[in-house]
Amino acid sequence: MRTLLLLLLGLLAARPGAAQDQPLVAALSQAQVEVTTGFTGASLMVFGSTEQPIGAGGDEIVIVARGPTRPVVIRRKVSIAGVLWVNGPSARFPEVPGYYVVAGTRPVWQLLPEPERQKNGLGLDALPLESTGARAPAFRRALLEQETASGLWVEDQTPVVIEGNRLFHVRLPLPATVPTGVYKVEVLLVRSRRIVARQPLTFRVDRVGTADRIASIADDQPLVYGMICVLGACLAGWLGSVLFRRG
Amino acid sequence: MQVYLPIAEMSVDAFLLIGIGLGVGWLSGLFGVGGGFLLTPLLILIGIPAPVAVASGANQTIGASVSGLIAQWRRGNVDLRMGGVLIAGGFVGSVLGVQLFALLRRLGQVDLAVSLFYVVVLGTVGGLMVMESVRAIRRRKRSGGARRKLHEHGWAHGLPFKMRFRKSRLYISVIPPLLIGFGIGLLSAVMGVGGGFMLVPAMIYLLGMPTSVVIGTSLLQVVFVAANVTLLASVQLGTVDILLTLLLLAGGVAGAQFGAAMGTKLRGEETRALLGMLVLAVALSLLWDLVRMPTELFSSQRVF
Repeated sequence: MRTLLLLLLGLLAARPGAAQDQPLVAALSQAQVEVTTGFTGASLMVFGSTEQPIGAGGDEIVIVARGPTRPVVIRRKVSIAGVLWVNGPSARFPEVPGYYVVAGTRPVWQLLPEPERQKNGLGLDALPLESTGARAPAFRRALLEQETASGLWVEDQTPVVIEGNRLFHVRLPLPATVPTGVYKVEVLLVRSRRIVARQPLTFRVDRVGTADRIASIADDQPLVYGMICVLGACLAGWLGSVLFRRG
Repeated sequence: MQVYLPIAEMSVDAFLLIGIGLGVGWLSGLFGVGGGFLLTPLLILIGIPAPVAVASGANQTIGASVSGLIAQWRRGNVDLRMGGVLIAGGFVGSVLGVQLFALLRRLGQVDLAVSLFYVVVLGTVGGLMVMESVRAIRRRKRSGGARRKLHEHGWAHGLPFKMRFRKSRLYISVIPPLLIGFGIGLLSAVMGVGGGFMLVPAMIYLLGMPTSVVIGTSLLQVVFVAANVTLLASVQLGTVDILLTLLLLAGGVAGAQFGAAMGTKLRGEETRALLGMLVLAVALSLLWDLVRMPTELFSSQRVF
């Protein structure tokens, strides 16, 4: 693990004019995460080095990762005549990041002043979540709870690890339910409660192989896909009646 | 072994799905129904989103019914003409049913509608089945089994557009079978079931068809309606997960054969009473979910 990290960092430093004149250099362990039919989740490493020493008394690192956004509707159940529980008022959040992780060498609220943290959307309570429909804050809270419970939103779960004052790394957990698309990672260098350098990185989560073929046929040619589903089920039924026929 | 379902966008234990398929297939073979009414709630229970569970349940029903249909066809127990009329009604019903489902989804009431449909339909059918079979068992115990009339002449015989159904030995209006087909088509689109458990009693008690051709003919209708629902759901809703379907069928087709072998050892009335109780139990557990105070008041839905 550590050898791999050092090797990767070595590669990074070998790039001409990289680590010497920049206060912050960072990279990802891979540029693409492949979702196959056997996908059960993965993890991705963000690592890098700084010019000045990091850790207690020195610079600090904050890493934030955001997945592709999608609209989410949150509904609240209400009781009809005290008998049936049905979905009642709803709030629609048109742009909810499908993945959000923030990690720092210390919890972010300790590193940055509140206005700065809110402006940069660092922390679950600082996410800019516009909504239409029901306005009660409970809807936003419910969204946060559900996303956190699904493991797609993570705040300060594991701190950024510092090695030898200059190197840092953190693992981004990607559960099996990660949405596909482009992910944006930002590595921030914090000095005396101010962001002094930032490095944007991207990676992709793509379905590959069978899972990808199935999903893309279903998207692009739904009629053909439907026919394949019908024929496939017929074939399976016929096969079953042949295989398990008695006498 | 975890498998990533590409349409449901989640990973599920493949053996759990095969096991569910096996269990439901066993029961469906035992009772001669498709088993969709058990399968869809079970899928929702293990966390498959309701739209995917309904559409893939319909898709699975095709496979489960085809093997039964082949067996019945070989014995000449399929009334093609009656099947055609039922399918015509079922086709219109399922087209409307998918529209209704899409509308409910926009309103955010899919889960409620699916549960309510289940509670009402399963409660009614289950209750009727239990009552009828208990009465039949009592009657058999009292007398040695009095012969019933071939079929009763009721309101269905006074309607226009009469048609002769040779295999079913019936000369009745096409309106009742069209309506029955329509209703089953509608329900199967909303509930993700083939509707065999409703169609079989309807054909016996409402149309007066002889029992020998009822199962084969209902399977024919179920295959066509489920195929139509699958096509419409994949085109309009994009919620059919073929991997989920095939895993369920892998267990289902095997289970169905073992169930069918065991079913021949049970008496007709007892089988119907057991099936009725099973149907009632599913209805009651779903009703309980609607009535009790929910543990989680908020729910989220990703808009596709």
